Amino acid sequence: MSDHHPHEEAATMSPYAARIRAIEALLLERGILTEPEVQDRISYMESRSPANGAKLVARAWVDEDFKERLLSDGKAAASELGIDPTHPAEFVVVENTPEVHNLIVCTLCSCYPRAILGRPPDWYKSFNYRSRAVREPRAVMREFGFEPSEDVEVIVHDSTADVRYMVLPMRPEGTENLSEEELAELVTRDSLVGVSVPRYAGS
Amino acid sequence: MGGSPGGPVDKNQHEVEDWERLADAITTALDGKGIKTTDEHRRAQESLPPEEYRSLSYYERWVAATEKLLVEKGILTTEEIDERSDEILRRWGGS
Repeated sequence: MSDHHPHEEAATMSPYAARIRAIEALLLERGILTEPEVQDRISYMESRSPANGAKLVARAWVDEDFKERLLSDGKAAASELGIDPTHPAEFVVVENTPEVHNLIVCTLCSCYPRAILGRPPDWYKSFNYRSRAVREPRAVMREFGFEPSEDVEVIVHDSTADVRYMVLPMRPEGTENLSEEELAELVTRDSLVGVSVPRYAGS
Repeated sequence: MGGSPGGPVDKNQHEVEDWERLADAITTALDGKGIKTTDEHRRAQESLPPEEYRSLSYYERWVAATEKLLVEKGILTTEEIDERSDEILRRWGGS
């Protein structure tokens, strides 16, 4: 990161932008971190995205055995699809059913299955989401344009440093003829957190 | 935090900046090397003064927490970070 663009940084003007550059420089000088280690971390995070979650969900929709493995050992299932879940935290997938809708939050900070889905969206880290998701999950989901019907039980999962959750949404009606790739395109990031569900407008 | 009253959830997404990518990378690289843990990082964030916790942006809190832990563990000192970041700010603002 030594070849940073001074103009961009000047525009930012967060004093913390300078502090992290200072910390980086000092850690590199002391040999506590190396330049390649820092670069590797940056490229690793850039390579993670909700598309990974969508791939897992689409496979689970078309392959019942895979679904069982995804629900029982999320990391192993991710590895099967070539998604490297390198992260010490557990990766737990929770299944939506006609009776149960799952919603994920991290009330403490921003724990999220980063190793699979990448950085969490800003709203996930916001104070309002963190405080309200556990208190009035239905009101929060309504703000995202979705609310499960009254007879569906809503279960809120509070993530921790050690356990990261992802939702396995239900396959939308009318998608019997879609390919696995087409199914994956229906799976939005928001549906993997549970504030929404995949929708299919029909052919 | 969990359970407190709050307003509508703001769904705007800001463009991740280079320094935020760096803050993320350094924090997780230190975790990867066993120099600190996610729990310590959270504790460091939570022990920020409440007004600071609320006013800082997400990655600003990360930087503050990472710095705090590096100082606590005797790996870096506040003085040398101050000095170096002043130099950097001068370079950015200068000429």
